[in-house]
Amino acid sequence: MKSRLFLLGAASLTAWGLKRHYADASPDDLLWILSPTAWLVGVTTGATFAFEPGEGYLSREHLFLIEKSCAGINFMIAAFGMLVYARFHRTGSAMTAARVLGVSLVAAYLTAVVVNAVRIALALWLAAHPLAASAFSAADVHRFEGICVYFGGLVLLYELVRWFDHELVGRPFQGRHAL
Amino acid sequence: MTTTIVRAFRRAAVPLVSYYVVTLGLPLANGAAGAGAPFARHALAVLVVPPILIALGCATHLLLEWSHRARN
Repeated sequence: MKSRLFLLGAASLTAWGLKRHYADASPDDLLWILSPTAWLVGVTTGATFAFEPGEGYLSREHLFLIEKSCAGINFMIAAFGMLVYARFHRTGSAMTAARVLGVSLVAAYLTAVVVNAVRIALALWLAAHPLAASAFSAADVHRFEGICVYFGGLVLLYELVRWFDHELVGRPFQGRHAL
Repeated sequence: MTTTIVRAFRRAAVPLVSYYVVTLGLPLANGAAGAGAPFARHALAVLVVPPILIALGCATHLLLEWSHRARN
């Protein structure tokens, strides 16, 4: 019980800290997530991104800026919370709680970089291939794409955790399917 | 069919709630509702699109299952 309370408190504090950092940060402070994302988008699309201090990563050929709002911090917080919840019922000691916290944070970070890179690569493609005679504005298409990729990313991550428990660890999934 | 859809929604409940908390719950707690129409537009899209995606995924799964059964 104590270890679960510790996990709950530490996870809430971590999520709050991330949100606080994101609120106050400039793009220069978010290099820890913007840099790998810009690199991954560059590798997958062939676009060249250069860092512009105070702005973010800019692709001059595509006129596309990966700025603060594109950092994927909110997705990272959602993924982190979800992972902690999925492992919450497995926490039996302070050591397991610390491990759940650490693994969830690293997994949420890596997933955020990959999923955000997919979202930006798709956005680049959509910007180059606008939907002709569409009833939706470019902003609507961008919003819809963001929702699909981010929510899809969360579902895939959750399924990956379930698969990991069933196939690799060989234990039935103990996280709740529904709340 | 209804059971499959209910099961799909149950299975996606944790990612769905996580997504709603971060995209709607936190902004609302920070007073985003005061932004008016732009936030309402965002909230509507965020509320509606994920359940549609779950239903679409479910329909695809059912179609694949039926076509597999029809072949055998």
